[in-house]
Amino acid sequence: MRTRTRFSRMLVGGVTLGMALSLSACGDDGGSGSSDGKIHVLVYGDATNKVEKAVVAEFNKTSKVKAVLDTIPGATYQQKLQTIINTPQAPDVFYNWGAGSIQPFVKAGLLMPLDDFIKDDPKLKSAFLPSVFNAAQVDGKSYGVPMRGTQPVLLFSNDKVLKDAGTKAPKTWDELIDSVKKLKKSGVTPIALGGGDQWPTLMWFEYLYDRIAGPDLLEKAVGGDKDAWASEDSKKALNKLKELVDTGAFGTNYDSVKYTDGGSPALVARGKAGYELMGSWYYSQQQENAKEFAEKDLGYNSFPTIDGGKGDPANVVGNTNNYYSVMKKTKHPEAVAKFLKLMYSDKFIKQQLAIGNLPTTTNTEKFLDTAADPKYARYQFDLVKKAPSFQLSWDQAYPQSASEQMHQAVQQFFNGSLDVDGFIKAMQALPTA
Amino acid sequence: MTTQLTRAAAPVKSSGRKSGRARGAQSADVGRPGFAWAVPATIFFVLFAILPLLAVAALSFMSWGGIGDPEWVGLDNWNRVFDDPVMIKSIWLTLLLTVLGVVLQTPLSILIGVWAAGTQRNRAVISAVYFVPLLLSSTAVSVLWRALLDPNFGIPSEATWLFGDGNLFGKQTTAIGVLAFVSTWQFTPLHSLIYQGAARAIPQVLYQAAEIDGAGRVRQFFHITLPQLRNSIITSMILMVVGGLTTFETVLILTQGGPGTDTTISAYYMYQKAFKSFDFGAGAVIALLLVVAATIISLIVVRLSGYDKMRSTMEGVS
Repeated sequence: MRTRTRFSRMLVGGVTLGMALSLSACGDDGGSGSSDGKIHVLVYGDATNKVEKAVVAEFNKTSKVKAVLDTIPGATYQQKLQTIINTPQAPDVFYNWGAGSIQPFVKAGLLMPLDDFIKDDPKLKSAFLPSVFNAAQVDGKSYGVPMRGTQPVLLFSNDKVLKDAGTKAPKTWDELIDSVKKLKKSGVTPIALGGGDQWPTLMWFEYLYDRIAGPDLLEKAVGGDKDAWASEDSKKALNKLKELVDTGAFGTNYDSVKYTDGGSPALVARGKAGYELMGSWYYSQQQENAKEFAEKDLGYNSFPTIDGGKGDPANVVGNTNNYYSVMKKTKHPEAVAKFLKLMYSDKFIKQQLAIGNLPTTTNTEKFLDTAADPKYARYQFDLVKKAPSFQLSWDQAYPQSASEQMHQAVQQFFNGSLDVDGFIKAMQALPTA
Repeated sequence: MTTQLTRAAAPVKSSGRKSGRARGAQSADVGRPGFAWAVPATIFFVLFAILPLLAVAALSFMSWGGIGDPEWVGLDNWNRVFDDPVMIKSIWLTLLLTVLGVVLQTPLSILIGVWAAGTQRNRAVISAVYFVPLLLSSTAVSVLWRALLDPNFGIPSEATWLFGDGNLFGKQTTAIGVLAFVSTWQFTPLHSLIYQGAARAIPQVLYQAAEIDGAGRVRQFFHITLPQLRNSIITSMILMVVGGLTTFETVLILTQGGPGTDTTISAYYMYQKAFKSFDFGAGAVIALLLVVAATIISLIVVRLSGYDKMRSTMEGVS
């Protein structure tokens, strides 16, 4: 009898997967969607929802078709979106990361190209920075309107640690190597890295490839050209990166450190490391975790230039922005178009700036002084505005199904279990569109 | 004594007051529960276990990415999964972790359980403290250990003589070591509890007799306690094996299957395939393999150990 209960318990455990599947697969009726004279706006649930709520309220003041804001909290957004998007519960308008994150939906014919909206109101496109707007285009058609802040990846530093080691933030790759050596000599980890999370490691690849090979390489690779990974430039970028790892720039235990549990930012804040490469949210993160350090010694710089590289030194990588995309089957396209227009309204831009986000409209500049931290906001804005190319994080440029393998390959290259050829093979094996 | 013991083991308990009534009447009113009693549980089980299991079986022959309709692909998923080196590796890793769990936890929990069954001073207090991990959720336990083992701010930074650079999660051997250690820390209390109960049920007369015959503590342990714990050992081992095969959240939080794929055990790989890569077909194949493997291993353990015959360990008493 005992074994029977064990058996059934195990069975129940083993098929949790099945439950989740069958529940999501047979989800019909329930009647949200666009059938009830409303448009449903689905966003990632976090602190920024404050602004989105205000926008929806603003919209509902004048619109006959009311908007309803739905949120999916936290990290499971993409998974849940994927399970509801082809059911009647699907929203009319939803939050996404552009490019790879919407590509499967475009392929499945679920999304509405926004080109007709843009024809009626050219500002839907022209009001936004082109490098950001273009990141939500698939096959030459526009599928997304920027709706939050841009998050470029920057090289952050603890300037006190740098000073003590007799070095300063590098402008070129050689200066970086030199700085790393000096930091190492002074007994700190030169560069903090949350390798346990894997995606912070990926940022180093993104910048090196962009500087050395230029943004075309990844564009080709994502487009399905596997040879791009085997090119000379690709090998050159990998060898440079290997060189940096072998100098001991990241110490030896980075794979046991995480960014998400506060491990790597604490290294920098407490003066145990010199640099950390991270998205622009790092600034507010440090302000929250280590206020004193953030105000006194936290430096931010763009990624160093690399001699002989094909990429423009002004290029940036990171999260270009988040976007609203529109479902093809929405019953109120005019209402949706009206809603999207609010994304470039002055009021919205000010509200975003006030909570620390950096919207990417061309006129954001006018309002920078109202930002939570005007100096940092201006630095980022200029960086993004001047950037000829803004490379979307690889794990978002590729379809979602590739991210796991990509993260593994990145980690294995850093710890030496994949060599240059092994890494190239792993990248070639990733599913593209 | 004998009759009393066997009576107590019978499933139907007669209430003491009514003992004057005829035996026949009792079996008619109370008797064995009819099928109706099992209906709610059965419905629940069919709805939430059997049907999903069938759905998963069907899905394992389909290609489905979460959007659109599943497409029939025959044995394609199965071939893919069996040709996948990561999958093969994950099976070995799962077995390794399961074996490590059994090997580490069984002796520890027998010793602790037998000790906790005694009547020493402070025993109750110390055991109560020791059972605390049992009350914590696996997620909390994993988050806790991840923080404790941080190479820069955790235990390894204070004990460099033992941990070196503290790169516990960056190498396969140490990452597996951490996983085995954390599940031992977490689950030994449960198994100790099983052994404590079982050790308490061993009749004192056996020890008294042994003492008269001049057997010391160690001999008593090996010749009375261990043989008497036989059924509990099997119960506990089945729990460990099934638990080991379905370990998931520890890996999810502690290592995320890394470094690379070095701690990607099958259950985690299933999650990765289905919910991170949206390859539900391959995920379903792995899920089915896990169900089949856990069932077979449990059956083997039960058969080999003679547990299915349900011999009472009390036999020795008469």
